[in-house]
Amino acid sequence: MQSVLSVRDLRVDFITRRGALHAIDGVSFDIAPGEILGLVGESGAGKSVTGSAVIGLIDPPGKISGGEILLNGDRIDTLPAEKMRKIRGKRIGMIFQDPLTSLNPLYRIGEQLVQTICAHLPLDAKQARVRAIKLLEDVGIPAPDQRIDSYPHEFSGGMRQRVVIALALCAEPDLVIADEPTTALDVSVQAQVIALLKQICADRGTAVILVTHDMGVIAEAADRVAVMYAGRIVEIGPVAEVIRAPRHPYAAGLMGAIPSLTSDRDRLEQIEGAMPRLSNLPEGCAFHPRCTQATDQCRQARPDLNANGAHAVACFLHEGDHI
Amino acid sequence: MTEAYVRINDLSKDFDVSSPWLNRVVEGKEKTYLKAVDQVRFDIEKGETFALVGESGSGKSTVARMLVGLLAPTDGGATIDGISLAGGRRTAQTNTVREKLQMIFQDPYASLNARWRIKKIIAEPIVSLKLLKGRAAIDARVDELLTLVGLHPDDGSKFPHEFSGGQRQRIAIARALASNPELIVCDEPTSALDVSVQAQILNLMRDLQDQLGLTYLIISHDLAVVRYMATHTGVMYLGRIVEIGAGRDLFLNPRHPYTKMLLDAVPDMEYPGRPRTAVQGEIPSPISPPPGCTFHPRCPLANDRCRVEAPKMIENVACHAIEERRSLP
Repeated sequence: MQSVLSVRDLRVDFITRRGALHAIDGVSFDIAPGEILGLVGESGAGKSVTGSAVIGLIDPPGKISGGEILLNGDRIDTLPAEKMRKIRGKRIGMIFQDPLTSLNPLYRIGEQLVQTICAHLPLDAKQARVRAIKLLEDVGIPAPDQRIDSYPHEFSGGMRQRVVIALALCAEPDLVIADEPTTALDVSVQAQVIALLKQICADRGTAVILVTHDMGVIAEAADRVAVMYAGRIVEIGPVAEVIRAPRHPYAAGLMGAIPSLTSDRDRLEQIEGAMPRLSNLPEGCAFHPRCTQATDQCRQARPDLNANGAHAVACFLHEGDHI
Repeated sequence: MTEAYVRINDLSKDFDVSSPWLNRVVEGKEKTYLKAVDQVRFDIEKGETFALVGESGSGKSTVARMLVGLLAPTDGGATIDGISLAGGRRTAQTNTVREKLQMIFQDPYASLNARWRIKKIIAEPIVSLKLLKGRAAIDARVDELLTLVGLHPDDGSKFPHEFSGGQRQRIAIARALASNPELIVCDEPTSALDVSVQAQILNLMRDLQDQLGLTYLIISHDLAVVRYMATHTGVMYLGRIVEIGAGRDLFLNPRHPYTKMLLDAVPDMEYPGRPRTAVQGEIPSPISPPPGCTFHPRCPLANDRCRVEAPKMIENVACHAIEERRSLP
């Protein structure tokens, strides 16, 4: 089956006075229809930039400096801004972290939905309104025919995020990019929003890139997960494998660092140090200064993603795994 | 009877959220109050870690702020080491207690003065409480504190912007330790940090507790962090404590329906995709909380009594259903 999205060797640079910073450095992945791919990593790993690059929202001084992005087989990274605007919202939907800032406080949510629907679909205002009510119903807003005329401030955080999901789904996109969709929400509401996102994407066959720093959310929602570190994917594979048996030392350290709710840990594992700054990336594997198993090879050369079936790891320790 | 080290006694806080006076007069409205904290009561023994957990708006931070004296309680009060801090009055006695009390805040980007060097930031409690005399003695103490939290004494001459979030939180901890406190109130100490850094800070806090015999009151919305850190946990919902549990007990055998719901809502990394009971509704507005037990609109066990009568704390849990041994049909 053809992938909805195919990212090949993507590079994003930020040009500064002190030279170019490689925010994304050779990232590749594919997403199948209906699949949820989690992008996980700590602040500065490049997960949000990856999402922005796919939807063409990298602002100067940043720019895509290499690689290609294919949506259903068509290149979209080289499209002129005007054409990209048509794709954005229609074929790729976007859900941001804070629902309060992604909705316009001065317009009723119905107007925002109708406007978006009319911009992308050949419907008149009346038909668009019917569709908007249907969408609100789909995302679980009670009494959607009345709530459609409410302002964003009249909704709670969880309900607002549901409206944002409805907005992203307006034009039946092939792909939705959800950037930290539950980070601003409480756990009980987070559970509701994750369940909704999963169910709605399964029903419509929409592929999702789920960007988050929360491993729990990934475990709950994603089919596959890519762990990012300093602008590169260090490990990618099916969720259950990566979470239960992470191979890259960084991924393993990350799992050990998360306090568990169900089992007792005497002590959390620590990864010493912090993620390096982009302006000061170490030679070789970017993780080697924090890695307990680093060798001379790691200090000199940079490991590539080495696939073993669906599971790939960028680490010299696991180079021979697939043989 | 020996009294607990910290005793929070029927602590309450109402915020006045009324419309302006003229609007009230013209529109004939009454004053409205938001009950942020409603008769909260718990004890912390010396050397313990007590955690308050709950969703946004449950009043957990307000309790912490009242304990350290940043807010004056509407009713009730706290005693530390037998000395009452009620009413926010300052006497010689309460001042000595306050010296033993420090706070760590959530956002290490906001809690450190960007224009001060680290040395000055950490020395501030020592200087303002006049704990040490002479530049040399203060500098030596600052160096000692920096080493204690895992930083280098040379870092003292740097500014906060030269540090990462985790290092800043270490600096905030060093500042809190400067006055030799016994009780540290930590308001979401790791919420602004990445997981690998969070692990470093949580481990550091536990090591310091073992070394210095500290007592912690931790405010957090992250149940896994609470499980890792706390010896006792209080679960708050709309300004009230609904359940208090010791150590892991609360997580293994939650009793209150809200605690159960909260635990069930947390994504489980060990068993992804496990069947979960769908969470009902959202936390109501604290300005007009539901009558009776405030949790009843979301509770699967609620009956008529829950809708009118607020439950009392019985054996560390405030729930009619448990009192009457009602269970799910």
